[in-house]
Amino acid sequence: MRIRAFSSRNIKELLRDPISYIFCLGLPIVMLVVMTIINESIPDMEGAPKIFKIELLTPAMAIFALTFIMLFACIRVSSDRSDAFLTRLYASPMKSSDFIVGYMLPFGIIALAQVVITYVSGEIIALVKGDSLDIVNMLISIPFIIPSMILFISLGLIFGTLFNAKAAPGVNSAIITMAAILGGMWMDIDTLGGSWKTVCSCFPFYHSVKYARYAFNGNFSDLWESFLICSAFAAVIFIASITIFSLKVKSDKK
Amino acid sequence: MMKTAIKIDNLTKKFGPKTAVNKVSFEIYDGELFGLLGVNGAGKTTTIRMLTGLSAVTDGDAEIFGHSIKKDLQKVKPIVNVSTQETAVAGNLTVKENLELIANIYGMKKNEMEESIESIVKSLELNEVLSQKAKTLSGGWQRRLSIAMALVTKPKVIFLDEPTLGLDVIARRELWNVVTSLKGKITIILTTHYLEEAEALCDRIAVMAKGNIMALGTAEELKKSVNKTNIEDAFIEIVGGEKK
Ligand SMILES: Nc1ncnc2c1ncn2[C@@H]1O[C@H](COP(=O)(O)OP(=O)(O)OP(=O)(O)O)[C@@H](O)[C@H]1O
Ligand SMILES: [Mg+2]
Repeated sequence: MRIRAFSSRNIKELLRDPISYIFCLGLPIVMLVVMTIINESIPDMEGAPKIFKIELLTPAMAIFALTFIMLFACIRVSSDRSDAFLTRLYASPMKSSDFIVGYMLPFGIIALAQVVITYVSGEIIALVKGDSLDIVNMLISIPFIIPSMILFISLGLIFGTLFNAKAAPGVNSAIITMAAILGGMWMDIDTLGGSWKTVCSCFPFYHSVKYARYAFNGNFSDLWESFLICSAFAAVIFIASITIFSLKVKSDKK
Repeated sequence: MMKTAIKIDNLTKKFGPKTAVNKVSFEIYDGELFGLLGVNGAGKTTTIRMLTGLSAVTDGDAEIFGHSIKKDLQKVKPIVNVSTQETAVAGNLTVKENLELIANIYGMKKNEMEESIESIVKSLELNEVLSQKAKTLSGGWQRRLSIAMALVTKPKVIFLDEPTLGLDVIARRELWNVVTSLKGKITIILTTHYLEEAEALCDRIAVMAKGNIMALGTAEELKKSVNKTNIEDAFIEIVGGEKK
C-alpha cells in the first residue's frame, strides 16, 4: 500500500517531467544509429573488432542506457531529500525499504521500456542493413536484464542518498564513464585480455555487458557465469542502498 | 480526570554544546487544543520534531497514547500527523493527488479516504484548486494544502507548526474554524506567533524560552500569574521581558 502510493507518486513525477524519460528512451536509438553509421564507414578489415556489429552493439547499448536511468534515479532522490515533502514522509509510517522499492519500481518500468526500445531499434537497423536479429532470443533475453537494472538503479539511489543535487550529476558522470570503459561496451576486453581484463572483471559492468550479449544472441549455455556474478553484485548493491538510505535517514535526525 | 494523550518526561535535545530543549516535562490531554508559544529559537519546532520522530531524542522520553517515541515509534506514527513549519507538498502532483498520496501512505481504506478528502476540501475551500498542480499554487494555498495533508489522515494527535504563517486573514479564520471544530475530537498541538490566536483557540498554553517551559496554563491563568490583563504583555513578562 505504502509502496504503491509512493511509487505511483514517483511515476507521476517522472511522466510530468518529460525531459528525463524522453532522454532515457531516445538516447539509445540515437547512439545505435550513429555507431552503426560510423562502423559502416570503416572498411571491414580482417581482425577488426566485432563488437560494433549490430547483434553485439544492441545488447551493450541496452546496458549502457541503464546508466542514464541511474542518473535520473539519483537526481530524483537527491532533489527529494532537499524538499520538506520528504520530511513529511519521514514522519509517516513509511519504512526505508518502502522508500527504496517505491523509488525503484518506476525507474524499473522506464528501464524495461528502454530495453524494448533499444532492441526494436536494433532490429530495425539490422533489417535496413539486410540482416535480421532473432526475435525469440531477444524476448527471452529481456528478463535477464533485470539484475542489471537493479544494479544501476540501486547505484543511483545510493548516490542520490549520499550526495546533494549539485554534486550528484558529477559523480554519476564518473560512473557512466567507468561503466563504458570497464564494461567493454565499446572495446573488446576479452580480446585485449591480460591485466586489463582482470581489472574489468572486478566490476559488475563487464559481466552485465557480457551476459547481455550472450542472452541476446541465444547463447544461454555460456551466459550463466557472468549472469550470476552480475546478480550477486546487484543483490549486494541493492541491500547496500537500503542500508545507506536508512543510515542517512537516521543521521539526518541528529 | 482527563485522559492523557501525550506525556512528556524530561525531554531534552542538544545540538553539540547547545541545548535546544531542556528537560521539558508536561502532559497534554486527549482532545485538548494545546498552544506552544515562545520567541524565535525557543525550541518549539525541535520539540515537535522529537515528538514526531523527525529528530532523535538526546535524553528523556515522551509517550503518545502510551507508546514511547523512543521505543515504539512505529506504533506512534500511524496515529500522528504533522504540518511542518515549512510547507511540504509534492510539487508535480495535483492537490487531490497530494491528499490521496498521504491518505494511502497512512493506509486509509478507499471509502474512508474519499470521505475524509471531501470533508477537508470543503472545510479548507480547496475545491477550486483540486486539480491544480501544487507547485503552481500561491504560497498561502500551498500552505493550506500542507495543513490539509496533515488533517486528511484523521490522526488522533496532530502537530501544527505555525499553521497560519503566510495565510491571509480569511484563510486564517477558516483554519481557526477547522481547528475549533476538531476540539475535543482529536488532540492538537499548535505553535504560533499570533498571541491573540492562541488565546482565542487554545485550551491551555505553554510558553517556552531557551528550551525551557516558563509557564503553563490557560490564557487566563497565564495573565493572572504575572498580573497582566493582556496576553501580549503577559507573554513578554513571562519570556523575560523586553530589553530596556
Ligand atoms: N539542526 C540543528 N542544528 C543545530 N541547531 C539547531 C538545529 N535545529 C534547531 N537548532 C537550534 O535549536 C534552537 C531551537 O530551535 P527551534 O527551531 O526549535 O526554535 P523555534 O521555537 O521553533 O523557533 P521559531 O519560532 O523561529 O520557529 C535554536 O537555537 C536553533 O538554532
Ligand atoms: Mg519553529
